[in-house]
Amino acid sequence: MSRNQELTEGIIRGDRENVVRLVREDLEAGHGPVLILNDGLIPGMEKLGDQFGRGEVFIPELMAAAKAMNAAMEILRPLLEASGVEPLGKVVMGTVKGDMHDIGKNLVCMLLRGAGFEVIDLGVNTSAEQFIEALENSGARILGMSALLTTTMNRMGAIIETIRRAPFGEEVRIMVGGAPLDEDFAAKIGANGYAKDAPLAVDRFKELHAALQP
Amino acid sequence: MANTESGPGNREKNFILSKKASLTPRDRVRMAMAHKEPDRVPFDFGSTSVTSIAGMAYEKLKRHLGSDSQTRIMAKQGQVAHIDEEILRKFGIDTRPLDPGVPDNWTDIEINPLTYQDEWGVQWQRPEESNSYFLLKGHFEGDENGTLEALHRFQWPDPKDPGRYRGLRDRARKLHEETDYAVVFSPRATFWQDAARIRGFGDFFSDLVTNKKYIHALLDRILEIRLEITERMMAETRGFIDVVLVSDDLGTQSGPMISMQMFEEFVKPRQKIYFEAMKKGDPDAKILYHCDGCIDVFLPHLIEIGIDGLNPVQVSARNMGDTKRLKREFGRDLFFWGGVDTGRVIPFGTRDEIFEEVKRRIDDLAPGGGYVLNFVHNIQDEVPPENVCAMFEAAMEYGWYGG
Repeated sequence: MSRNQELTEGIIRGDRENVVRLVREDLEAGHGPVLILNDGLIPGMEKLGDQFGRGEVFIPELMAAAKAMNAAMEILRPLLEASGVEPLGKVVMGTVKGDMHDIGKNLVCMLLRGAGFEVIDLGVNTSAEQFIEALENSGARILGMSALLTTTMNRMGAIIETIRRAPFGEEVRIMVGGAPLDEDFAAKIGANGYAKDAPLAVDRFKELHAALQP
Repeated sequence: MANTESGPGNREKNFILSKKASLTPRDRVRMAMAHKEPDRVPFDFGSTSVTSIAGMAYEKLKRHLGSDSQTRIMAKQGQVAHIDEEILRKFGIDTRPLDPGVPDNWTDIEINPLTYQDEWGVQWQRPEESNSYFLLKGHFEGDENGTLEALHRFQWPDPKDPGRYRGLRDRARKLHEETDYAVVFSPRATFWQDAARIRGFGDFFSDLVTNKKYIHALLDRILEIRLEITERMMAETRGFIDVVLVSDDLGTQSGPMISMQMFEEFVKPRQKIYFEAMKKGDPDAKILYHCDGCIDVFLPHLIEIGIDGLNPVQVSARNMGDTKRLKREFGRDLFFWGGVDTGRVIPFGTRDEIFEEVKRRIDDLAPGGGYVLNFVHNIQDEVPPENVCAMFEAAMEYGWYGG
């Protein structure tokens, strides 16, 4: 097995210690952080996302892999930044006002980071104003919003309207998710995307990001 | 709450067509749970903190029905209301709740005005505009707490605390002897969900892969305490209850939370111990298992280790919507308790859609008995009271057996 395959396998198994060790050794041996990320780590997250979609792995496997990925990214991020490598893209994330559920949203954040995005996670109970402020300060133009209650889901439309009225509001690409939502609801409230589970959400975020590029 | 809009009785409808009733509510529920057809499908509303209604929605419902009683809250999480007797009677509800006592030697710790910590070390927080508490963080979150030493250091809840059991026997006996409703007892029987809350969901789920020894120890410790509490409680309630509720979520909207292999390694052997203790504690009480989400793959296993009924039958989750299929595949061994969709129909549906939904679930789940009608989990705050009423009206219209 090649070094990269070993890394990929380590991510899939959620073997944080081994992944961190391999990353450190690779860096010492002079491998570039971009190659470690793109050829070693990210393929592991992608494979696992596919397996999740097919019902072959479940939340524990995803969560363990995301943690291994995050541990590796903590080592790589400063090096990537120092060498001028930009993150894939920036995403602002939050659970909407009145809703404190964050398990699904946190999983999406971890997978997004694993896929190379910079994530500005506003946590739970987030207002339209907080979303706008974070978009403004970070320059991010992709936003993910989650709601787990039928009550708070119904506030998403108003939040989107408020965001659209911000000076840059029309540029923002908004993804929504959460148990009570579906594709029709997302379209009705003017969101740009919806996904029914975390790995699919990452795919949709990538599509939105790609479409934003000039 | 002041009653300004409608005087009592203004909008009263004759919900109970009692002329057809030939059974007591308790016999009706018992027959249904024994897979025999009673006179009509029994209804539950508010017998547990997962089959009731959120506080604000309940206020609206009471105003709509012309009741001005003070709302009592049975669970801080989700702000679940106790349903008043007059409303239970109006809807023809066949069940009544029995709750355990609270410990003498524990009071929730106020962290700040919006946050408190329970006896399991779990912190709950509410948003400013609501009284409903949500999980904030667990006592054992973080890498440094994923150790056996951390488990040993923690001051666990005391299963022997007399406050939990005081008066329980009398309350149970009173419900059994002085009413003819089915008594549903909630001893807070759970361990899997506790573990996830205590460890924090992120750490808990990744530990299932990378820190198994710790997870086994955590689950064993919780099970030991919960089991002792449940056994002591059921020694008090024995002979007086009809249903005992146990709950542990294993499903998400789109699939099981964990693989079959993990279910068999972590969950099933412990549930087997739990269910056996409950059966021994009261052989006449049926075990009702509350589990949200898509869990059809686990049902044969849960039946094998002793559950009698499934709540809430979350029809909006994958593989759970085809209630005809669930009845066909599992209906011989399992009674269903719930099933009326709250993902869309009850909150947003028209009156016709609500009638259609109720009729469909009765048609699918009620033949041959084995169905207690309730909505899927608690009614949320935004649900119009008209819709709650429409559901029970529809249930009363379509629920009768034998035409």
